[in-house]
Amino acid sequence: MDGRTSTIGATPEWRSAMIDVSGLSLTELAADAEADLPDESPLAHCLRRLAGDLAHPGEPIAGFNSAL
Amino acid sequence: MTGFTSVSAALPHRLSDAALTALGAGRPDRATLEELGRARLSRHLLLLREIAATARTDDFAALAAAERAAPRQVRALLARPLFGVWAVGCLTALRAGAAPDQAGVAHLSDLAARALTPHPRRDPGRRLTGDHDGLRITLRLEDTDPLRERLGLKPAPPLTPAELARWQESFDAAWRLLVERMRPDAEVLAAVLDSVIPVRADPAARGISATSVDAFGAVAMSEPADPAAFAVGLLHEAQHSILNAVQYLFDLLEAPDTLGYSPWRDDPRPASGILHGAYAYLTVARFRRTGRDDPLARFEFARWRAAVAAAADGLRGLTPAGERFVGALRAEVRPWLDEPVPADVRRLAEGANRDHHLRWRLRHLHVEPADKAALARAWRRGERPPTVTPILRRAPRRALEASPRLDLAHRLLRGLPLEGSAGDVAYVRGDEATALSAYRRNPGEVTAWAGMLLTSGLSAAPEIAAAAYQVLRGEDPDPLAIIRWLS
Repeated sequence: MDGRTSTIGATPEWRSAMIDVSGLSLTELAADAEADLPDESPLAHCLRRLAGDLAHPGEPIAGFNSAL
Repeated sequence: MTGFTSVSAALPHRLSDAALTALGAGRPDRATLEELGRARLSRHLLLLREIAATARTDDFAALAAAERAAPRQVRALLARPLFGVWAVGCLTALRAGAAPDQAGVAHLSDLAARALTPHPRRDPGRRLTGDHDGLRITLRLEDTDPLRERLGLKPAPPLTPAELARWQESFDAAWRLLVERMRPDAEVLAAVLDSVIPVRADPAARGISATSVDAFGAVAMSEPADPAAFAVGLLHEAQHSILNAVQYLFDLLEAPDTLGYSPWRDDPRPASGILHGAYAYLTVARFRRTGRDDPLARFEFARWRAAVAAAADGLRGLTPAGERFVGALRAEVRPWLDEPVPADVRRLAEGANRDHHLRWRLRHLHVEPADKAALARAWRRGERPPTVTPILRRAPRRALEASPRLDLAHRLLRGLPLEGSAGDVAYVRGDEATALSAYRRNPGEVTAWAGMLLTSGLSAAPEIAAAAYQVLRGEDPDPLAIIRWLS
């Protein structure tokens, strides 16, 4: 399951399986893009999940009809 | 920048439990929305990394070089919703074996050139802006980018100056409504929404809109009929974007593809779609709740509060994160169920919800031939009805809600003349005996079976009643007697 809780500290927290790369530069992001990833690394897990999203794309949530 | 030195050292996205439940209630704070924005940028960047690793062209290097010279400009371009749409399309094509040029990888070099264009020569593009009572919103109006075709609806041609002025005028009024009636929700829209993509109107609907799972913050919509429709469309679609971002981070459903009933669509929907519907209509109901003096708004409020509560209650197989999220959604809507609504409006709203469910069952739940025969045998022998389990069949295509009874209810609430079948007109006027008599004479019509159940006070599975009548119709049975037999 993606989504774990941590009860360490005053308030419980939900930790995603998806890693935060929003602060990386493109150079940093792609530094090891062609290297083999260990299967259990967080990045490999993220990329498998992303690949799953692409393989099973959700339909656009179309068709909201403003009836009034 | 957060000081990471490599992707392998990156930490997970995280939300506090309070943030997750506030999201479920449709009341996220600014910091939570910023985290969702970062999550969507992470998604775009991971897609980009995969494109770079797969295509191995110079285009990524050109973009990385542009970023070193103009980091803010490149980051802004990569955060745009339509970049997400492009990246998914490009990576999907590459993985299907397309060459980099066919997959459109050169788009990265175009972005690099755009980022490096000196500011005075940069085209700011067109905008919709709203500014009321100190709360401001600016949305990009995407009416030329070819990528806008990938959002699921047919895009409108670029707006003429007169059309743009009309959109802006309507947006101004919609923004005033939103800020005055539900300021916290308006603040959410200002934080989440990035762009509006005008699409062609659907002649079968008064207004249509869509959100792509790949385009966080982009709303595709036809020209709204009025400011309230504009406001509702923005609220509705922003919820889809928010939920898409939450579901990128956390699975909320163990079996998101399981089909079931959605109060908002005529076709069977996966559990993920039902959750999307409930989450979107949570804010639609909140908006209609503010229209206390308008019978139509009261009707919509009464209808959607009940539908949201029922849909959320019906979701099965929630993950632990899903339990927290959906639990907060339920807790938000539940107090609304006790709020007073005029009795005649409430009758029409509850009837509209029940009518929709009955017609959905009649359309999508099928009784097997052997079960039909068993029903006929038991009827003829005067026995109790046998146990029959109808089968849900997947619809060949999506469908929008269309109902003459619902149209009549809207006309009644608007004070317009009623034109329709005798049964439907009597039903919306509250004359159930006349309506039942009319429906009883037309058992060949699917909607008459829903009508009989709406007006008879009986409770039976409509698809089983209609199936039994179908095999017995040569014997001219009373359809109401069949319903009574099954009740």
